[in-house]
Amino acid sequence: MRLNRLLSVFILMLGFCCHIAQSNAQTVDDATLRPLVQALAGDNFENTTKAISDLVKTGDPRVSKILDALSAGDLYVAKADKTVFLGKRDGSDYAATDALTGAKLDPVPRSAAEKIKVNNRLRRDIAAAIGGLTLMSDNIAERRSAAEAILKTRDPESIPLLDQAIAVEKDAGVKALMQQAKAAAVLNSDAADDVKIAAITEVSAGNSRAALGLLTPLENVQGPVGEAAKAAIDSINTKLAFWNAIQNVVYGLSLGSVLLLAAIGLAITFGVMGVINMAHGEMVMIGAYTTFVVQQIIRTSAPGLFDYSLLIALPAAFLVSGGIGVVIERGIIRFLYGRPLETLLATWGISLVLQQAIRSWFGASNVQVGNPSWMAGSFDLGLLTLTWSRLWIIVFALSVFAILQLVLKKTMLGLRMRAVTQNRRMASSMGIRTPWVDALTFGLGSGIAGIAGVALSQIDNVSPNLGQGYIIDSFMVVVFGGVGNLWGTLVGAMSLGIANKFLEPFAGAVLGKIVVLVLIILFIQKRPRGLFALKGRAIEA
Amino acid sequence: MFNLPAKFIGTLAAAAMGASLAMSPASAADDTIKVGILHSLSGTMAISETTLKDTMLFLIDEQNKKGGVLGKKLEAVVVDPASDWPLFAEKARQLIEQDKVAAVFGCWTSSSRKSVLPVFEELNSMLFYPVQYEGEESSRNVFYTGAAPNQQAIPAVDYLAKEEGVERWVLAGTDYVYPQTTNKILKAYLNAKGVKDEDIMINYTPFGQSDWQTIVSDIKKFGSTGKKTAVVSTINGDANVPFYKELANQGIKAEDIPVVAFSVGEEELAGLDTKPLVGHLAAWNYFQSVDADANAEFIKEWHAYTKNDKRVTNDPMEATYIGFNMWVKAVEAAGTTDSNAVIDSIVGTSVPNLSGGYATMMPNHHITKPVLIGEVQDDGQFDIVYQTPGLVVGDEWSDYLPGSKDLISDWRKPMSCGNFNIVSGKCGGVTN
Amino acid sequence: MITQWFFTHVDRRGGIAIALLVAIALLVPLSNLLLPQTSPLHIPTYLVSLIGKYLTYALLAVALDLVWGFCGILSLGHGAFFALGGYAMGMYLMRQIGPRGVYADPVLPDFMVFLNWKELPWFWHGFDNFWFAALMVVLVPGALAFGFGWLAFRSRVTGVYLSIITQALTYALLLAFFRNDMGFGGNNGLTDFKDILGFNIQAGTTRSMLFAATALFLALAVFVSSFIIRSKLGKVLVGVRDAESRMRFLGYRVDRYKLFVWTISAMMAGIAGALYVPQVGIINPSEFEPANSIEAVIWVAVGGRGTIIGPIIGAVLVNFGKTYFTAAFPEIWLFALGALFIIVTLFLPKGILGLYGSWRTKLADRAARKKDSAPPPVAAENVHLPEPQAAE
Repeated sequence: MRLNRLLSVFILMLGFCCHIAQSNAQTVDDATLRPLVQALAGDNFENTTKAISDLVKTGDPRVSKILDALSAGDLYVAKADKTVFLGKRDGSDYAATDALTGAKLDPVPRSAAEKIKVNNRLRRDIAAAIGGLTLMSDNIAERRSAAEAILKTRDPESIPLLDQAIAVEKDAGVKALMQQAKAAAVLNSDAADDVKIAAITEVSAGNSRAALGLLTPLENVQGPVGEAAKAAIDSINTKLAFWNAIQNVVYGLSLGSVLLLAAIGLAITFGVMGVINMAHGEMVMIGAYTTFVVQQIIRTSAPGLFDYSLLIALPAAFLVSGGIGVVIERGIIRFLYGRPLETLLATWGISLVLQQAIRSWFGASNVQVGNPSWMAGSFDLGLLTLTWSRLWIIVFALSVFAILQLVLKKTMLGLRMRAVTQNRRMASSMGIRTPWVDALTFGLGSGIAGIAGVALSQIDNVSPNLGQGYIIDSFMVVVFGGVGNLWGTLVGAMSLGIANKFLEPFAGAVLGKIVVLVLIILFIQKRPRGLFALKGRAIEA
Repeated sequence: MFNLPAKFIGTLAAAAMGASLAMSPASAADDTIKVGILHSLSGTMAISETTLKDTMLFLIDEQNKKGGVLGKKLEAVVVDPASDWPLFAEKARQLIEQDKVAAVFGCWTSSSRKSVLPVFEELNSMLFYPVQYEGEESSRNVFYTGAAPNQQAIPAVDYLAKEEGVERWVLAGTDYVYPQTTNKILKAYLNAKGVKDEDIMINYTPFGQSDWQTIVSDIKKFGSTGKKTAVVSTINGDANVPFYKELANQGIKAEDIPVVAFSVGEEELAGLDTKPLVGHLAAWNYFQSVDADANAEFIKEWHAYTKNDKRVTNDPMEATYIGFNMWVKAVEAAGTTDSNAVIDSIVGTSVPNLSGGYATMMPNHHITKPVLIGEVQDDGQFDIVYQTPGLVVGDEWSDYLPGSKDLISDWRKPMSCGNFNIVSGKCGGVTN
Repeated sequence: MITQWFFTHVDRRGGIAIALLVAIALLVPLSNLLLPQTSPLHIPTYLVSLIGKYLTYALLAVALDLVWGFCGILSLGHGAFFALGGYAMGMYLMRQIGPRGVYADPVLPDFMVFLNWKELPWFWHGFDNFWFAALMVVLVPGALAFGFGWLAFRSRVTGVYLSIITQALTYALLLAFFRNDMGFGGNNGLTDFKDILGFNIQAGTTRSMLFAATALFLALAVFVSSFIIRSKLGKVLVGVRDAESRMRFLGYRVDRYKLFVWTISAMMAGIAGALYVPQVGIINPSEFEPANSIEAVIWVAVGGRGTIIGPIIGAVLVNFGKTYFTAAFPEIWLFALGALFIIVTLFLPKGILGLYGSWRTKLADRAARKKDSAPPPVAAENVHLPEPQAAE
């Protein structure tokens, strides 16, 4: 372990030496380099590590490219003559190029070559080594990753090189990062107390969590350094506590949005129409599978459109789930109006059939739904890490809610829906075709469940069981919010989400969920018709 | 139709009994040997178990092509216990008592195995159980061809400590018995290695957990103290996809905080885009990427059988393969399918595994296995970065749990005991 | 005397059902134990346990029908009471294992030993005594139901709200029992039982006795249900089902009536669970799955809600179907089961017994029509009790 660390420090150091050497444009001839490259194909990681350090020692500019390839797993060794080459998969062959010269070689059959193994530690070492080679690179991204690599290793030996680099660095961001790296290295060295205290100030100005990691070992040091570290830690902790609360709210909203998405379709089929729709979860699942099918088609016929796959899947999922909803309503549910509890049985049967249908069709395993690039990754907001997918889901859930409100309040269809649900007979005598309104309302609810499935496919696994995971939560949200009230569903989802996230750190995920359920039960005793109860005779069951 | 309710009920009951008696497929001729397949084809576990049912059908098909066993063809009896644990017990009883199967291959979760165990012991039949589990069990009638904790968890932790220099550990699992036991064992093991309690974080989540934001961000915090941190994940199947998605999205790279999983294989990764996960680890006894002729052959035939060259293979499939071949070999050695004879003849049986070596059935009814550690690749496969130099014998009673460290199991005569206490020198409980 | 008393409280159907159940309780064990295996009338042990399991489900269904069919309380959480009764019995059976567990610990069950528990948690004490456990079988579900009902009925939580919070109840219990820290064996539950009241639990005689006990308890449940339904109390309950507000305005303390029948029903479900566990050999948290409770509702609906023997028929039939289909069509049986539920709700709104009822009415109609060609009497539907109607 210690050996590894020493080794990476060594590599790093060499990197800098070489870098300096490199400015003299020193290259090594192929004959010296080739056996070193050949040595990368050692039979264990230790040999490979040694080969890497030998390579870096040469200071040849080609080394960083070769190591990059190794790190990416593109270096192969032919089984027969043990030559190392750069390979790219091409059918059943590897398209091979010479690792040193880049000259094209004959393709190698896949069975005749073996990938040179790299593990996480090697990749880390390589990054550090390349980092040393590229601290003065022309490319800003390379300089940034070089500084990051040093920030991780915190090697005191790199201080002079960092000083050099800081002196010429133009970009403010990279410069700050280099200064952070230097401060971290200083804290790790046996510099004088005042230098260290300055470094503590520097460090605590940066990323607080990383700083905490750097400072904690110093906390128990006697003297001014320890005191400074302690003070810095205290202030960071206060900051972190504040951000923790914010994190709980934001994560709670994000969980709430997922609940809202899952429940909002149910708020229509169950809340507005009174159908205890146990097949709601399956509508969500069908939406997710529609996304899968859309992505599948895009992958095979128009890979360029992949980033738009979700946008294409949205209307598709709405139509598929909505269409199935209309069929179910016309075929089964319409015979059951006025017998709401029996809709429970029929829809339970439907849910079994739909699950099995999907299982027979797509298989029982998960299917892969990819994230488009704009859904992948995360960004930092203060000390909070929020992933793009979660952010988009919050935005998406709220938009769906807003659009649904618009449809219900501002369109003719919405007006009719409300009329029918409030007083079927009256609406019918006013000339509204209630059967069609019923079918469309159920279709709308199912369609919205379908587009919820598109969103959920981004964060959850897409399998025939997908719907089962959400059905209970959805019912809780609708009932908690108040049946028949969309605003109740919104507030209900968000408050359950936030309550869950505030309880989770104290009680753990399992107990937190139990507490939330008990709270719902108790809450219903207080308000037997949910958060936003409808008033009037219509609600008397 | 019916005149009286009494008659109505009577007819119904009679019909029920009659039909269930006639339930077994047209009474088997004596020239076949029946093999029971007890894997959930619906419900929550269908996602994992369906593949094993297909594997069994494939293996039986292959065996029949080779002429069957003892000159008789094998006949598969498939039932669906529907991820419902008591139904497992009912179906096991049905397979043994009604269909008179010679052996049963099945179960995935420990609950399902616990549920059928008394049935197999009572009716003295054989169950081959192909999934890694928490250990702490050894039955005369059950053959554990999956990994015990020492064949998976402990070598993985050793690898991380040695090769990656990990000093700080997150033990994250789903809140059920397998993760709890494995984590207890691991914690005792790490403590014995000098890891302090403050460097171990244990976290449990409910089944099917889908919101991992808080936990992943906690892991990130725990890992940012400067000491090298790794996550040992015993998170159960369904919850893994959202966990890894959150991990990828929050930008936790394998170089920073590697995650080593014991329940994530090729099948689970099939539902994921693995590009952001490259370098995260899994510990198994088999990977599809194993470079061995037996494996290449197996994959080729599997693809031909399923008519789908994208179907992946995984560790429980290999365990099924080993268990099935061991049974065939033991039956041929015994010359009969009678349970007592086969149970006696199977101990010591060696069959090729798929990683180019041999698996042997040990007297404790667990098998020898190599332990492989693989890193996730961008194509959903694993790149094997470590393999134990020799084979590891499954340890049914963990040495790291106070209750079981004195127990051993040996089903050979004359000991024939699943829980022999080496301190008291007595066979602990009365089993059969 | 006694027969007369009996028949004032039980209708003809109920009487036949009770007689039949008592007969089954006697005949099935006799056939299993006394007849040679070759006899065509011999019932194998396998079937004894299987039918025994169906009958415990039937008992649960009768309990559920008492609240749903006769009082209009749709519980989506009755599985919780069933499971609690089962756990109480399971804890007794666990304690009976004694030093025969794999770790040979005289007191602690196996799962506690390997998870390093040092002593028996307080709530496990007393369960080594059968009668204490038997008391808990009714007391724990009863107390939970009483507490839950007392809160819910007093605050007039009704309809779907009540259904959903009963679901929340069983879901919360599911999660709680899953936790290993709770001390109930986590998801593996309680299993590997050895004996009950000193008899080997796997022996044929024990199985037959358990079967007989189940059939007799079911007969008792039918009697108790009939007794309640035919009493004045029962009339009030039906009144509550059909017009709760009206009953309240008439001066009945609706909440007390509901609470009474709700608690009785939970206790019956607890007994069902207690009989279920020794026959299937395991109890684990999956019994708390909300889906299980919904399935119980379906048995009642299939058999005929608001009848006493309908639920028995429904439970036996659906579970028999499950047994049959999962073996005969393991890949596609969910289609069959799903279709069954849809068809029953669409075409047999009153369940199988309802079908029988309307068929008899039709027959009577035809006979009447034959006698004189008077206009046909009122439609069959009007003969039945009106369904409780939710808001439209």
